[in-house]
Amino acid sequence: MAPAIVRPDLDERSEVRTHGPWKVIVWDDPINLMSFVTYVFRRLFGYSKAKAHRLMMQVHTEGRAVVSSGPLEKAELDVVRLHEHGLWATLEQD
Amino acid sequence: MDQPPFRWANGVVIVDLGVNEQKILDLLLSLYLQVLKADEDPAVWRLHPPAHPNDSTAEAVYRAMVDDDLSAQRLEAIQTVRAGIAGRELDDDDVSAWIRTLNGLRLVLGVRLEVDVHGHDHLVDLPLEDSRSSPAAVYDWLGFMLEELVGSASQGFANS
Repeated sequence: MAPAIVRPDLDERSEVRTHGPWKVIVWDDPINLMSFVTYVFRRLFGYSKAKAHRLMMQVHTEGRAVVSSGPLEKAELDVVRLHEHGLWATLEQD
Repeated sequence: MDQPPFRWANGVVIVDLGVNEQKILDLLLSLYLQVLKADEDPAVWRLHPPAHPNDSTAEAVYRAMVDDDLSAQRLEAIQTVRAGIAGRELDDDDVSAWIRTLNGLRLVLGVRLEVDVHGHDHLVDLPLEDSRSSPAAVYDWLGFMLEELVGSASQGFANS
Protein backbone atom coordinates (compact mmCIF):
# COMPACT_ATOMS: atom_id res chain seq x y z
CA MET A 1 0.00 0.00 0.00
CA ALA A 2 1.26 3.46 -0.84
CA PRO A 3 2.13 5.57 2.18
CA ALA A 4 -0.31 8.33 3.01
CA ILE A 5 0.80 11.83 2.04
CA VAL A 6 2.02 13.46 5.21
CA ARG A 7 1.89 17.21 5.52
CA PRO A 8 5.06 18.55 7.19
CA ASP A 9 4.21 19.52 10.72
CA LEU A 10 6.23 22.44 12.04
CA ASP A 11 5.47 21.65 15.69
CA GLU A 12 6.75 18.13 15.30
CA ARG A 13 10.00 19.13 13.64
CA SER A 14 10.89 21.79 16.18
CA GLU A 15 10.02 19.36 18.98
CA VAL A 16 12.52 16.82 17.62
CA ARG A 17 15.22 19.50 17.32
CA THR A 18 14.87 20.94 20.79
CA HIS A 19 14.25 17.89 22.95
CA GLY A 20 17.03 15.40 22.49
CA PRO A 21 17.65 12.19 20.74
CA TRP A 22 15.07 9.51 21.63
CA LYS A 23 12.12 8.60 19.44
CA VAL A 24 9.03 6.72 20.59
CA ILE A 25 7.89 4.30 17.88
CA VAL A 26 4.48 2.67 17.74
CA TRP A 27 4.30 -0.51 15.64
CA ASP A 28 1.37 -1.91 13.71
CA ASP A 29 -0.39 -4.89 15.22
CA PRO A 30 -3.48 -6.74 14.02
CA ILE A 31 -5.42 -6.60 17.30
CA ASN A 32 -5.65 -2.99 18.45
CA LEU A 33 -8.57 -1.13 16.89
CA MET A 34 -7.89 1.94 14.76
CA SER A 35 -10.36 4.06 16.75
CA PHE A 36 -8.72 2.94 19.98
CA VAL A 37 -5.20 3.78 18.78
CA THR A 38 -6.36 7.25 17.67
CA TYR A 39 -8.02 7.76 21.05
CA VAL A 40 -4.84 6.79 22.92
CA PHE A 41 -2.72 9.26 20.91
CA ARG A 42 -5.20 12.04 21.72
CA ARG A 43 -5.48 11.11 25.36
CA LEU A 44 -1.78 10.63 26.12
CA PHE A 45 -0.27 13.35 23.97
CA GLY A 46 -3.11 15.84 23.63
CA TYR A 47 -2.92 15.65 19.84
CA SER A 48 -5.76 16.98 17.72
CA LYS A 49 -8.13 14.45 16.17
CA ALA A 50 -6.53 15.10 12.76
CA LYS A 51 -2.95 14.60 13.97
CA ALA A 52 -3.82 11.51 16.02
CA HIS A 53 -5.66 10.02 13.04
CA ARG A 54 -2.75 10.77 10.71
CA LEU A 55 -0.27 9.04 13.05
CA MET A 56 -2.60 6.04 13.44
CA MET A 57 -2.89 5.74 9.65
CA GLN A 58 0.89 5.96 9.34
CA VAL A 59 1.23 3.06 11.80
CA HIS A 60 -1.39 1.12 9.85
CA THR A 61 -0.02 1.69 6.34
CA GLU A 62 3.73 1.98 6.95
CA GLY A 63 3.98 -0.41 9.90
CA ARG A 64 5.33 2.16 12.34
CA ALA A 65 5.27 5.84 13.25
CA VAL A 66 7.23 8.17 15.51
CA VAL A 67 4.61 9.43 17.95
CA SER A 68 6.78 11.48 20.30
CA SER A 69 10.41 12.23 21.07
CA GLY A 70 12.61 13.70 23.76
CA PRO A 71 15.20 12.89 26.41
CA LEU A 72 15.34 9.24 27.47
CA GLU A 73 13.41 9.77 30.73
CA LYS A 74 10.52 11.48 28.94
CA ALA A 75 10.53 8.99 26.05
CA GLU A 76 10.52 6.02 28.45
CA LEU A 77 7.60 7.52 30.33
CA ASP A 78 5.70 7.82 27.05
CA VAL A 79 6.47 4.17 26.29
CA VAL A 80 5.23 3.08 29.71
CA ARG A 81 1.96 4.93 29.15
CA LEU A 82 1.58 3.37 25.71
CA HIS A 83 2.33 -0.09 27.17
CA GLU A 84 -0.31 0.53 29.85
CA HIS A 85 -2.74 0.94 26.98
CA GLY A 86 -1.58 -2.20 25.19
CA LEU A 87 0.12 -0.46 22.29
CA TRP A 88 3.29 -1.92 20.84
CA ALA A 89 5.80 0.88 21.53
CA THR A 90 9.60 0.86 21.46
CA LEU A 91 12.40 3.39 21.84
CA GLU A 92 14.96 4.32 19.25
CA GLN A 93 17.90 6.65 19.48
CA ASP A 94 18.01 9.31 16.77
CA MET B 1 -30.87 -3.33 19.44
CA ASP B 2 -30.53 -2.83 23.17
CA GLN B 3 -29.51 0.44 24.73
CA PRO B 4 -25.91 1.51 24.07
CA PRO B 5 -23.56 0.16 26.76
CA PHE B 6 -21.94 3.59 27.26
CA ARG B 7 -23.11 7.13 26.70
CA TRP B 8 -21.63 10.55 27.23
CA ALA B 9 -23.61 13.00 29.37
CA ASN B 10 -22.52 16.18 31.13
CA GLY B 11 -18.82 15.39 31.33
CA VAL B 12 -19.05 11.75 32.37
CA VAL B 13 -19.50 8.41 30.64
CA ILE B 14 -22.49 6.47 31.91
CA VAL B 15 -22.22 2.67 32.02
CA ASP B 16 -25.51 1.00 31.20
CA LEU B 17 -24.99 -2.73 30.56
CA GLY B 18 -27.71 -5.30 30.11
CA VAL B 19 -27.90 -8.15 32.61
CA ASN B 20 -26.23 -10.63 30.27
CA GLU B 21 -23.49 -8.16 29.37
CA GLN B 22 -22.81 -7.64 33.08
CA LYS B 23 -22.50 -11.40 33.63
CA ILE B 24 -20.19 -11.89 30.65
CA LEU B 25 -17.94 -9.02 31.65
CA ASP B 26 -17.73 -10.20 35.25
CA LEU B 27 -16.71 -13.67 34.08
CA LEU B 28 -14.14 -12.23 31.68
CA LEU B 29 -12.58 -10.14 34.44
CA SER B 30 -12.10 -13.28 36.53
CA LEU B 31 -10.43 -15.04 33.61
CA TYR B 32 -8.29 -11.97 32.94
CA LEU B 33 -7.06 -11.99 36.56
CA GLN B 34 -6.10 -15.65 36.21
CA VAL B 35 -4.14 -14.95 33.04
CA LEU B 36 -2.31 -12.01 34.61
CA LYS B 37 -1.14 -14.24 37.45
CA ALA B 38 0.34 -16.80 35.03
CA ASP B 39 3.85 -15.58 34.16
CA GLU B 40 4.40 -18.04 31.34
CA ASP B 41 1.32 -17.13 29.35
CA PRO B 42 2.28 -15.62 25.96
CA ALA B 43 -0.62 -13.21 26.30
CA VAL B 44 1.12 -11.71 29.33
CA TRP B 45 4.18 -11.09 27.18
CA ARG B 46 1.95 -9.20 24.76
CA LEU B 47 0.92 -6.92 27.63
CA HIS B 48 4.58 -6.25 28.45
CA PRO B 49 6.27 -5.74 25.08
CA PRO B 50 9.96 -4.79 25.02
CA ALA B 51 10.81 -1.08 24.98
CA HIS B 52 14.42 -1.69 23.89
CA PRO B 53 14.19 -4.78 21.63
CA ASN B 54 17.81 -4.48 20.44
CA ASP B 55 19.50 -3.62 23.73
CA SER B 56 19.18 -6.29 26.39
CA THR B 57 20.88 -4.19 29.08
CA ALA B 58 18.61 -1.19 28.60
CA GLU B 59 15.63 -3.54 28.36
CA ALA B 60 16.50 -5.16 31.71
CA VAL B 61 16.66 -1.71 33.33
CA TYR B 62 13.32 -0.75 31.77
CA ARG B 63 11.66 -3.99 32.87
CA ALA B 64 12.91 -3.64 36.44
CA MET B 65 11.59 -0.08 36.48
CA VAL B 66 8.09 -0.63 35.08
CA ASP B 67 6.92 -4.26 35.31
CA ASP B 68 5.56 -4.11 38.87
CA ASP B 69 3.82 -0.80 38.18
CA LEU B 70 2.26 -2.06 34.96
CA SER B 71 0.91 -5.13 36.74
CA ALA B 72 -0.36 -3.16 39.74
CA GLN B 73 -2.11 -0.63 37.51
CA ARG B 74 -3.74 -3.41 35.53
CA LEU B 75 -5.12 -5.01 38.70
CA GLU B 76 -6.35 -1.66 40.00
CA ALA B 77 -8.08 -0.94 36.68
CA ILE B 78 -9.82 -4.33 36.82
CA GLN B 79 -11.20 -3.47 40.28
CA THR B 80 -12.48 -0.14 38.94
CA VAL B 81 -14.31 -1.91 36.12
CA ARG B 82 -15.72 -4.54 38.46
CA ALA B 83 -17.07 -1.82 40.75
CA GLY B 84 -18.92 -0.21 37.82
CA ILE B 85 -20.37 -3.21 35.99
CA ALA B 86 -23.84 -2.78 37.48
CA GLY B 87 -24.00 0.83 36.33
CA ARG B 88 -21.94 3.91 37.18
CA GLU B 89 -20.92 7.38 36.08
CA LEU B 90 -17.28 7.18 35.01
CA ASP B 91 -14.97 10.13 35.60
CA ASP B 92 -11.82 10.57 33.54
CA ASP B 93 -9.72 8.13 35.58
CA ASP B 94 -12.51 5.54 35.54
CA VAL B 95 -12.81 5.86 31.76
CA SER B 96 -9.07 5.23 31.45
CA ALA B 97 -9.37 2.11 33.64
CA TRP B 98 -12.28 0.78 31.57
CA ILE B 99 -10.56 1.42 28.27
CA ARG B 100 -7.29 -0.19 29.37
CA THR B 101 -9.11 -3.20 30.80
CA LEU B 102 -11.40 -3.86 27.82
CA ASN B 103 -8.45 -3.52 25.47
CA GLY B 104 -6.19 -5.69 27.66
CA LEU B 105 -8.83 -8.41 27.69
CA ARG B 106 -9.17 -8.13 23.94
CA LEU B 107 -5.39 -8.42 23.51
CA VAL B 108 -5.26 -11.55 25.65
CA LEU B 109 -8.08 -13.14 23.72
CA GLY B 110 -6.57 -12.03 20.41
CA VAL B 111 -3.26 -13.70 21.24
CA ARG B 112 -5.10 -16.88 22.27
CA LEU B 113 -7.00 -16.86 18.98
CA GLU B 114 -3.75 -16.20 17.09
CA VAL B 115 -5.00 -12.94 15.63
CA ASP B 116 -1.37 -11.85 16.11
CA VAL B 117 -0.27 -14.43 13.55
CA HIS B 118 -3.14 -14.78 11.10
CA GLY B 119 -5.14 -11.58 11.29
CA HIS B 120 -8.86 -11.79 11.91
CA ASP B 121 -10.21 -13.45 8.75
CA HIS B 122 -9.82 -17.03 9.99
CA LEU B 123 -12.29 -16.29 12.81
CA VAL B 124 -15.19 -15.07 10.69
CA ASP B 125 -18.25 -17.34 10.43
CA LEU B 126 -16.74 -20.26 12.32
CA PRO B 127 -19.07 -23.27 12.65
CA LEU B 128 -20.50 -23.66 16.15
CA GLU B 129 -18.64 -26.93 16.72
CA ASP B 130 -15.31 -25.15 16.25
CA SER B 131 -13.78 -24.63 19.71
CA ARG B 132 -12.81 -21.10 18.70
CA SER B 133 -16.35 -19.96 17.88
CA SER B 134 -17.22 -18.85 21.44
CA PRO B 135 -13.97 -16.99 22.15
CA ALA B 136 -14.19 -15.44 18.67
CA ALA B 137 -17.68 -14.16 19.47
CA VAL B 138 -16.42 -12.72 22.77
CA TYR B 139 -13.50 -11.13 20.94
CA ASP B 140 -15.92 -9.42 18.54
CA TRP B 141 -18.11 -8.33 21.43
CA LEU B 142 -15.14 -6.78 23.25
CA GLY B 143 -14.31 -4.91 20.04
CA PHE B 144 -17.87 -3.58 19.93
CA MET B 145 -17.74 -2.54 23.60
CA LEU B 146 -14.40 -0.82 23.13
CA GLU B 147 -15.60 1.05 20.02
CA GLU B 148 -18.66 2.22 21.94
CA LEU B 149 -16.62 3.37 24.93
CA VAL B 150 -14.01 5.13 22.78
CA GLY B 151 -16.83 6.87 20.88
CA SER B 152 -18.47 8.10 24.09
CA ALA B 153 -15.21 9.07 25.78
CA SER B 154 -13.96 10.97 22.70
CA GLN B 155 -16.76 13.48 23.24
CA GLY B 156 -14.78 14.65 26.25
CA PHE B 157 -11.83 15.92 24.19
CA ALA B 158 -11.59 19.71 24.11
CA ASN B 159 -9.76 19.80 20.77
CA SER B 160 -11.90 17.98 18.27
